[in-house]
Amino acid sequence: MANADSADVVIVGTGVVGCTIALEALAAGCSVLMLEAGPRVERWQIVENFRNLPPSLKAHWDAAYPPKPWAPHLETYSEASAGDYLQLEGPDARAYQQGYVRYAGGATWHWAGICWRLTPDDMRLKSLYGVGRDWAFDYNTLEPYYTRAEYAMGVCGPSDPALQWPPIRSKPYPMGPTPFGPGEQRFTDAAARIGLRNLPSAQARNSGISYHDRPPCCGNNNCFPVCPIGAKYDAATTLPKIESMGGVIMPNAVVYRVETGSKNAVQAVHFYDQDKVSHRVTGKLFVIACNGIETPKILLLSKDQQNPNGVANSSDQVGRNMMDQPKIIAKITMAEPMWTGVGPVQSSSIMDTSQGAFRSEHSGALIRMENAARSGQAGVAALKKGLVGKALDTEIRRLAACTGQVTIEHEPLPSAINRLTLSDKKDWLGLNKPNIYYDVGDYVRRSADQYSVPIVKRLIAELGATESEIGTEFAHSDHIMGGCIMGNDPSASVVDADCRAHDHANLFLPGGAAMTTGGSGNSTLTMVALAMKASDAIISQLKAG
Amino acid sequence: MTRLARPFVVAVVLLLAVGTMSACLAAEPNGVDPDSIKRGAYLATASDCAACHTAPGGLAFAGGLPIASPVGTIFSTNITPSASAGIGNYSEVDFARAVRRGVRKDGGNLYPAMPYTSYRLLTDADIHDLYNYFRHGVAAVDLVPRRTALPFPMNIRASMIGWNLLFLSSASFVADPHQSADWNRGAYLANGPAHCSTCHTPRGFLMQELSGSNLAGGQVGPWFAPNITSDASSGIGSWTQQELVQYLRTGSLPPKARAAGSMGEAVEHSFQYLTSADVAAIATYIRAIPAVHDGSDSQSRFGYGTAGSMLGTLRGANGIRSDTGTSPTGAELFLSNCASCHASRGQGSKDDYYPSLFHNSVTGAANSSNLIATILYGVDRKISSGQAYMPGFGGHKTDPSQFNDNEIVLLANYVFQQYGRAGTTVSRGDVAVVRQGGPSSSLVLLAQIGVAAAACVLLLLVLFLIFRAARRRRTA
Repeated sequence: MANADSADVVIVGTGVVGCTIALEALAAGCSVLMLEAGPRVERWQIVENFRNLPPSLKAHWDAAYPPKPWAPHLETYSEASAGDYLQLEGPDARAYQQGYVRYAGGATWHWAGICWRLTPDDMRLKSLYGVGRDWAFDYNTLEPYYTRAEYAMGVCGPSDPALQWPPIRSKPYPMGPTPFGPGEQRFTDAAARIGLRNLPSAQARNSGISYHDRPPCCGNNNCFPVCPIGAKYDAATTLPKIESMGGVIMPNAVVYRVETGSKNAVQAVHFYDQDKVSHRVTGKLFVIACNGIETPKILLLSKDQQNPNGVANSSDQVGRNMMDQPKIIAKITMAEPMWTGVGPVQSSSIMDTSQGAFRSEHSGALIRMENAARSGQAGVAALKKGLVGKALDTEIRRLAACTGQVTIEHEPLPSAINRLTLSDKKDWLGLNKPNIYYDVGDYVRRSADQYSVPIVKRLIAELGATESEIGTEFAHSDHIMGGCIMGNDPSASVVDADCRAHDHANLFLPGGAAMTTGGSGNSTLTMVALAMKASDAIISQLKAG
Repeated sequence: MTRLARPFVVAVVLLLAVGTMSACLAAEPNGVDPDSIKRGAYLATASDCAACHTAPGGLAFAGGLPIASPVGTIFSTNITPSASAGIGNYSEVDFARAVRRGVRKDGGNLYPAMPYTSYRLLTDADIHDLYNYFRHGVAAVDLVPRRTALPFPMNIRASMIGWNLLFLSSASFVADPHQSADWNRGAYLANGPAHCSTCHTPRGFLMQELSGSNLAGGQVGPWFAPNITSDASSGIGSWTQQELVQYLRTGSLPPKARAAGSMGEAVEHSFQYLTSADVAAIATYIRAIPAVHDGSDSQSRFGYGTAGSMLGTLRGANGIRSDTGTSPTGAELFLSNCASCHASRGQGSKDDYYPSLFHNSVTGAANSSNLIATILYGVDRKISSGQAYMPGFGGHKTDPSQFNDNEIVLLANYVFQQYGRAGTTVSRGDVAVVRQGGPSSSLVLLAQIGVAAAACVLLLLVLFLIFRAARRRRTA
């Protein structure tokens, strides 16, 4: 049985990766203690936070999750607030303004629920195209863990292999896909006319039926920033289940130091509570599941005599290879209603554009029509025009129905120069804030110039848009990857194929931080698959004593 | 067995330890008429045997389902043809005695959670078909489910002999020549296999059905099976034949009524599979049930409430809700937990998947159990056309949202006030009772006191005899 200061498995972070490992370890009979930096709140409180926001803030996904002083995260509501916690530098600093929340349940509170797998080629960039790195294992090794992840989260998707991505699966999706709304159907038809396939996304969202005590999606269309009914999987939905199985969850516990002992094994972690009082927690095995920014930050904060560069960092790779899918946004206006906003905020993408021989020269990209309802933005835009009365009403209706957004997400390469270090600036607890240097790199820039944006221009023309505005600056996709890169060579990577630190036999660093490459799709499903693989290793290591 | 109070902690622990199971259906039945087995299967469906004898996720008819009753938890038994764990050694006579008289092959009495007081009406022909089905149409499972262990004195099964003497009629079904064939078929099904009265008839002090209040409404664990007599305001006298048929077949009659809890299971496992003629016959009979009027009902429970919302007074008044420690209001809880599906004015969805909360039997009820139970345990009713689902809000430990008793009080009172019968109120005690699975009976305590009192009397008597004998010896 876990208590407040010791357990078989001590997990730092209660996001999707931490919760996945907690459920697996508890089911195997291990005791589990989870430490969460942020607060624990009820879903209805976040729903009320969101619905009470002024229209100008509703598109800021973090605004419904105000950070506690002891657990800051990036707040996007202004340039000043955005620069307060995450220190960013480099040519594309603004493209790394990552949105995540330090709340029990983590960033899946406000994800779209999209669950793309990597393809076999995405995992072999070095051998196929001479760029980036190869993963420590191939797709076939990861496939069973992908399947387990899909069943753990409840992922809906098409049963027709022609619509699956990639169509290499050992089991069908647990549920069928959500139907396309009119806007996505129109985009799909236009794409087909120029030879592109817009595929239904795999999504961790209940389509038509209940799954794991959660109801089917009813199309509230605010997956960002919170699913009001829990139809979309988020890790917060599993917290009661973890407790029902005997897991202990401690919110407002900010881990700031990993303590090592003999043979460089981890013997404790230290955390501050909300009164700045320090506590020490021991365990047999430790998991730091705080994704690509907070995990390397904790490791770098934990320098000691045995680990002068920080815990797990004999390779000097902790904090390097920071990745995300650099995003380009195209806003379009149509002459007639297109009606995005029916169903979830995203439910399809063009994926074929992420693969090809061109990857020796430039990155591939995912292209999608956003399906978020336009009414909020339409209202703000119409008000800014100074309209009143019936004219205002009419303009809101026109903009809500006739506008849309096409998004490009580019595949990143792991690069040592994209690096997280500790800033001299301190947070409320006196801990160093993270500093990140970020350059999307020529590989991505060439793709935007020569490949992805030209395709989107053809798509926009085929859709029949009357106006379009294609962004020129890369934006963040909030898919934090890298920072504790996985590999077989301990001198060039941080964790092994089970997300175990090369330097510490009882320390696991699973999730986005371990990803070797990112692909064009979002990282969550791969993070959970890695968490499943790590869980197996954790459980067998504990059983072996 | 009965649908009396289905479980809320669905622990199928027993069945996880999968024992040996003879997976094959009984081979070519020797000389048994296949049509008889088919008819038996239909009767088993009409009797809803699976509701209790098949645990969710468990093997068919292998038992093990915990059933909360006012006198303690009863575990359903294995009724597969397994000789070691089920009823494989039962003759047809043994089988008939168990089903109609509530007596096991070994002579032990069953608890009336098994509705043998209804099944007693089953004809010899139907018993024969049912027997053939359970002998030859069901796979044997050699798993002994957990044994029922009720508190003293209920653990003395022989105590049921007295109960049966009082409350088990020996009369068999007799058709009423003054009624239609349809009505008579409905009477047989409703009173026999479908055992409607098991839940819908209130029970007396000794857990017996109160025949004078036939189908006037009864408590079933955390749920309340409402009055379904022909009374226009207290019952379902306002329903048409077609409406009752639709309700029985689908569990849904928007906006008036939806089946949840035990009735949802009855629709899911039984009524949706009955022939149109049989469902129509049941409806014909039920609609003719003598009205039982409750004087407190001035209008039908299907007519209370209107659309409405407090959105305008709330929105923006309390910016960041997660940072303010104040207790929520009922309106806030409604808007943030319920309105995303039931709509901001409580009107439900146009396709009727999400029920309107007004003109709804649950919010129009004088008894608050069903609203509390729906919030706590949700709804999960699967029929051939799809699933009707609402998550629970804390009735199961794994529910993603966990309401405390106070939050349920606030929410339920708001819903009754805003959308239903404003005179119905909910207290923390009401919520606690539903959360524990329904009211418990004082019968066990009284019986224990009674037994203790009898023991005292006996002891005094013995002392007196000893004393007198001693005196006699002295005087002798």
